[in-house]
Amino acid sequence: MKFIAPAAAVLLLSATAVTAQTLDELKNDGKNPDNILTYGMGYAQQRYSPLKQIDTSTVKRLVPVWNLSLNNDWGEQAQPIVYNGVMYVTNARATVAIDVATGKQIWKQTLDWPPDTPRVVCCGVSNKGAAIYNGKVYRTTLDAHVVAYDAKTGKEIWKTKVAEWKDGFSLTVAPLVANGVLITGISGAEYGVRGFIDGWDPETGKQLWRHYTIPARGEKGNETWPQDNNAWQTGGGSAWITGSYDPELDLMYWGIGNPAPWASQSRPGDNLYTSSVLAMRPKTGEVAWYYQFTPNDAYDYDSCWELILADLNVQGRPRKVAMQLNRNGFLYVLDRTNGALISAKAYGKVNWASHVDMKTGRPVETEIARSIRSGKPTEHWPSTRGAKNWEAAAFNPQTGLLYANTLNEGRMYQHLETKPFVVGQRYMFIENLPLPRAAGEPIGHIEAIDPLTAEKKWSVPLTDFQMWSAMLATGGGLLFTGKETGEFIALDAGTGKQLWQFQTGSGINAMPVTFTQNGRQYVTVLSGVGGLYWNIAREQLKDKVPQGGSVWTFALMPD
Amino acid sequence: MASLGVAALVCAPAAAQSPEQLKTGAEIYERNCSPCHGARMLDPQGAADLKKFPHDQRERFINSVTRGKNQMPPWGDLLKPEEVEALWAYVAGAESVHSH
Repeated sequence: MKFIAPAAAVLLLSATAVTAQTLDELKNDGKNPDNILTYGMGYAQQRYSPLKQIDTSTVKRLVPVWNLSLNNDWGEQAQPIVYNGVMYVTNARATVAIDVATGKQIWKQTLDWPPDTPRVVCCGVSNKGAAIYNGKVYRTTLDAHVVAYDAKTGKEIWKTKVAEWKDGFSLTVAPLVANGVLITGISGAEYGVRGFIDGWDPETGKQLWRHYTIPARGEKGNETWPQDNNAWQTGGGSAWITGSYDPELDLMYWGIGNPAPWASQSRPGDNLYTSSVLAMRPKTGEVAWYYQFTPNDAYDYDSCWELILADLNVQGRPRKVAMQLNRNGFLYVLDRTNGALISAKAYGKVNWASHVDMKTGRPVETEIARSIRSGKPTEHWPSTRGAKNWEAAAFNPQTGLLYANTLNEGRMYQHLETKPFVVGQRYMFIENLPLPRAAGEPIGHIEAIDPLTAEKKWSVPLTDFQMWSAMLATGGGLLFTGKETGEFIALDAGTGKQLWQFQTGSGINAMPVTFTQNGRQYVTVLSGVGGLYWNIAREQLKDKVPQGGSVWTFALMPD
Repeated sequence: MASLGVAALVCAPAAAQSPEQLKTGAEIYERNCSPCHGARMLDPQGAADLKKFPHDQRERFINSVTRGKNQMPPWGDLLKPEEVEALWAYVAGAESVHSH
């Protein structure tokens, strides 16, 4: 110990310096390829890295360099954060710091939520990842807390209760740090919560602001809820996927979830701001503009998905846009300075609406929608799970294309009679049964999609299992993603052809990342079947795919 | 399987349940159980197929619901014992309330 102590002291000093990571670094995430500091690999959430050491010709030499067990059967969905050689990984049970060079665990902090908490978690016991800022690692918990740990030691610095989980609230969202404020959303629309987004002081955990996604009586927007009942108080509007952020405009973009209950008869009106995007100021929570994708959503067309920010050339004019492959089947391109609708084209089979009216920005509902709203069992496309679910897409600014794992699924959908709200219990009132499916009909696709036309540059059909893993695009002309059956795969981004695969120990439904250390490019993904698709397809998967979370990191085999 | 079939026949479970109990059970099922086990037990997807739950294993059912089983959380804190019994009445006697 005598010999180690001075070295430890030096380490401690240097650690203080290296972990004092700043807002500038967050803004510039992606410019230093050694680090991944934000959800989406940059505030714009493009999930694109210019790294090209691993490319279409070298990928055949890609091999695992380490694997670390996470000792967790609930499933892995998180995106790793990497800062100065340390990787931070979360799941519902724990937060782990890992040495990226060796794969050795540096610290682990486990969470102990009550065993009945999953009662209020509709769609998989999971966590989407950590945030990092100024020497602290932040995460949310299933039983509705936000926690800050010392990035160096894992010591808990503060823990703040967001809401009472027994009332239907839970948190799986990865936090966002924007303009010095720690920001989190909430889950629980399936239990009739009234959703909100919170701003926290990153140093102390003190709440700076709370912005409800459903306005109260007297506030602008409440007039879109019935005035003769209290539907707005139990109206849903979760925010369970991290917002993107434009530092120049100082606006963050949070997708807002579905209204509650799913059956819509008790809540006539547009039900703002459910199934919308809110452009908000991180310092105050003030809303600069909104756009509603699905007014009076009757279909669980939750709009929490990633809003990918990019600069697109639109009819010869550069536009600052936010793009979303919305669950309702339309691919939206919005002007992110003001919320103006630029484009909204169907990217999958849609029968509930014929198109989006470009003047009003509203979907034009069909007879199918009217049938659903009248309570009849109705063949409905896309199903409530959407033409794409939470599995984040990637955008390559070099090709101008979106790359996504999409779903191709309709179901027989019916609204049931609604019953009184019971706090902490399901608040949905629907039936949603499978449709007969023609042999060989794809259940999903891997696709390259033009954002403005929704045309597919290529499309790979999936006929065995859907893919619920995020996409990663790289400057090496590659896409990385994962299969529920465990294969981590690399595709040629130009054609969709699979170039490489590696069988991990469980199914993949997480978010791959790539980074460098000492000039060597690494790719990391979490393996561990879980989440909503595991709930859906467990019977088909369970004999093929064992549970069990772990972290896999890959690099090129040296010559 | 043959013995299970015989046991289910011998139990004739629906006969022992009151209509009120079946109705309560159906309501609890629709609200809290159908999201995973499927509407009217028709589409269990990844969860246990309750149509196949052996009708002579009431105690196992009550214990699983109350204490949780595999991915299913415990419900004992939310549902009263008589509500769990009503749920059992519905699950064991569903053939008598659904015509499918």
